[in-house]
Amino acid sequence: MSLPSVADLLAEPILADALVVAGSEGLEREVADVRWWTGESTPVQDQLVVCGAEPVTPSYRLDALVRRTGEAGAAGLLVVGASVRPLLSSLRLADRLQIPVLWLDDAEPVIIVQELTPRVRAPELVRARTVDRLLRQLAPRHTGQDIVAAAEGVLEAPLALVTSDGTNLLGSPIELDETLHLDRPVAQRGRAVLVHPVLDPDANRPAAWLACRVERAAESRMGLLAAGLAITEPFLRSWLTAQRAHADRDVLFRARLLSEVLSGRDSVSRDVVEGAVSVGWQLPEWHVGLHLSCDDPTASDQQAAAPERLRAALGEHGITLTEAVDRGDGWALWSSDEAEPGAADARALLRAVRLATAALPREWGMVVGIGRPHRGPGGLAETLAEARDAAYLASSHDFRPAVEHSDELGVARLLATWQQSAVTRAFAETALAPLRSNESLMATLRAYLESGGSVVLVAEALGVHRNTVTARLQQIRDRLGVDLDDPSQRLALQVACRSTGA
Amino acid sequence: MSYDVLRAISAEHVDALASGATLLGSGGGGDVALGALLLRRMLEREGAEPVPVIASDELPVDALVVHAGVGGAPDVLAERLVDPDDCARAVEAVVAQTGGRLAAVGVIEIGGLNALMGVIAAARLGVPVIDGDLMGRAFPRLDQATLTVAGHPIAPMALVGPLGDTVLVTRSSAAAAQALMVSSAAAFGGAATLAMFPTTAGTLVEHGVRRSLSVCVGLGRAFLAVDADAPATVAAEQIGGRLLCEGRVDQVRPREGRVPGSITLIDRHTGGVVRVDHLEEYLAVTIDGRTVVSAPEVIVALDHRARCPIRTDEVRLGQSLALATLPALHDWPSEVAAAVGPAGFGLRVEEPA
Repeated sequence: MSLPSVADLLAEPILADALVVAGSEGLEREVADVRWWTGESTPVQDQLVVCGAEPVTPSYRLDALVRRTGEAGAAGLLVVGASVRPLLSSLRLADRLQIPVLWLDDAEPVIIVQELTPRVRAPELVRARTVDRLLRQLAPRHTGQDIVAAAEGVLEAPLALVTSDGTNLLGSPIELDETLHLDRPVAQRGRAVLVHPVLDPDANRPAAWLACRVERAAESRMGLLAAGLAITEPFLRSWLTAQRAHADRDVLFRARLLSEVLSGRDSVSRDVVEGAVSVGWQLPEWHVGLHLSCDDPTASDQQAAAPERLRAALGEHGITLTEAVDRGDGWALWSSDEAEPGAADARALLRAVRLATAALPREWGMVVGIGRPHRGPGGLAETLAEARDAAYLASSHDFRPAVEHSDELGVARLLATWQQSAVTRAFAETALAPLRSNESLMATLRAYLESGGSVVLVAEALGVHRNTVTARLQQIRDRLGVDLDDPSQRLALQVACRSTGA
Repeated sequence: MSYDVLRAISAEHVDALASGATLLGSGGGGDVALGALLLRRMLEREGAEPVPVIASDELPVDALVVHAGVGGAPDVLAERLVDPDDCARAVEAVVAQTGGRLAAVGVIEIGGLNALMGVIAAARLGVPVIDGDLMGRAFPRLDQATLTVAGHPIAPMALVGPLGDTVLVTRSSAAAAQALMVSSAAAFGGAATLAMFPTTAGTLVEHGVRRSLSVCVGLGRAFLAVDADAPATVAAEQIGGRLLCEGRVDQVRPREGRVPGSITLIDRHTGGVVRVDHLEEYLAVTIDGRTVVSAPEVIVALDHRARCPIRTDEVRLGQSLALATLPALHDWPSEVAAAVGPAGFGLRVEEPA
């Protein structure tokens, strides 16, 4: 193995705080050993000489030390823990002799010599020690964060788990450079980074990359880091596998739990209640159900992106929903509350869902049905059933995203039936015939009926004076020969108005 | 280098004396300008006689010699005019203590201001000045005098303040004398005139640095004769010195208390890295990590045109300096290296090869 240079040793973590104060031209000199300075008789040829504060205090004494070590052919001089500032003469002399002078404050010289010596003399020892420590440190870690942090601590280098496109999943921010071939699942070395593939548990391709930043280092340290990454990788892979299994189990468990709640209604078993508590469902409270389905099957493929995105979007509107449960034809979601939600809450929910779905990709073709509030496990079954019905109706609309609330469902369905019937159409043609030619009278009548018989609202809606409205209503009464104060007559006319559509 | 023997000091010698004293100050010894003005004024006065200069071996062996000078903060000494009467008072106080008749006044240190102060005291007292001194250059401490090294007492010692206040120390160790001088000078506003080392001409023959006044004036003359445009090499040669290097000051790290300060420059001829360590005086020159000259040898820093010597407190970043060394006036025995060598200043450098 080749000898490390002074610059290589500077890249060692133990010298991270060391400054090159002079003689930088000699940084590439090879270091055969590390030697503590004990005086002129110390043999220092090709060695990194380490000294404490004594031989360089007062600062003028550094001159003589630089001269002696330089003449004796030392590879470099490392001054540890000296509080003096070196004189310019010492620095110039070191430059002249091209002997690098490294300055390390706040360190124990003995420790430095002890740590540096095996790095020069027996790098394989350092490597064995690091591998041993790494294994010990990694064994008890369970989460990805812990694993990366432990490996960072032992290897004393910034580590990260990154995806092929450079997104950082765990650890320090590290940039991958374009010299890497991330399509090949093998360990690689970039300009200032080492990467090791973390294989997908299910396929032989990299799920992510374990990356380590190295500005510059000796071959031995590079080898050590590469080995460290290789050792860390199976731990991360096993964590990924566990994560995936956990997620799958969770989904299945929730689906089964929900189906038991729905089938059991109010007489759910103790097991089911405990299961519900473990996933955070508050069965005894008031529930408002949502049923979500998508026309586009790919929207659901992306790890159930649609329900999660909807949930997140509603979260921004202050509405907390449970996690989505897959029901085959869509996802069930619901919110639970101790108090019974009022009518205003229902309107707010409807509005929020409309806003939220409108903000999501239209091509997903989202259809959402909302149930009415019901209480208890049975209530949950009921509101989800209503939500599913509402979603079913909403899906018949020819626009997306479509949202329906079951509160409005009965009337809307009835009206829809009426409006579509031939009898109603025929009646409308006949009854409204006298107003056909007069658009303003037609608009006034429609506004009057829709506003519940308020002259003031009609005037506001049409932008005319109240007296105008009154005058027009009189004309309508005259032309149609109907009594607008009679509820039955009003209902018939309203249905007729709606069926004409315009 | 040999110089003519000086017989008397008159006004014409003052410039040479001041220049020589500055060179022998090794970068310290204080500013000579005020002392030179004072001495010239005294010697130019109508009826003033030149100060006779006498070698110690020309005096009877038991002739009494008292050494005079000033001590204290260099900044105060550079600005506060010394009263020659104070010098006379200090010497008289010591003579009164020892008894006997004063035969001559001696110079404590030939480097810097004190070279002139000995002559001023002799001029005021009307006695000859000894052609010699006790240090052969400038040193900051009394234990670095030849007499102290030889075991002679410093006391009786007199210190006189600018208002005539007098401290008389009748008996003292070298360390205590140093401390008393520093504290008395502080009490007198930062500086005091001194008289100390009462001794006999015979002792000076044996232990004094001889002929230093002659050397100082000769050295000063030689330096003043150097052509203003002469390169530093020539200037160094003409004063009998050896040029060490020439270069621009790249860093000035001031002293911190007793830890010497350092000046870094790069030799423009060889590219060598030069470091000069100093306290009040230049103490050592280290080139490429190897100490080439150190105290008690005299180190002289000249500005690039060799016009004037630069004291340690005058060195500035970017200045062009030529460093030279002068041979020591005194051959210090090797066993006193601890007192007058780098170690005596707390400077931990290797001895020059």
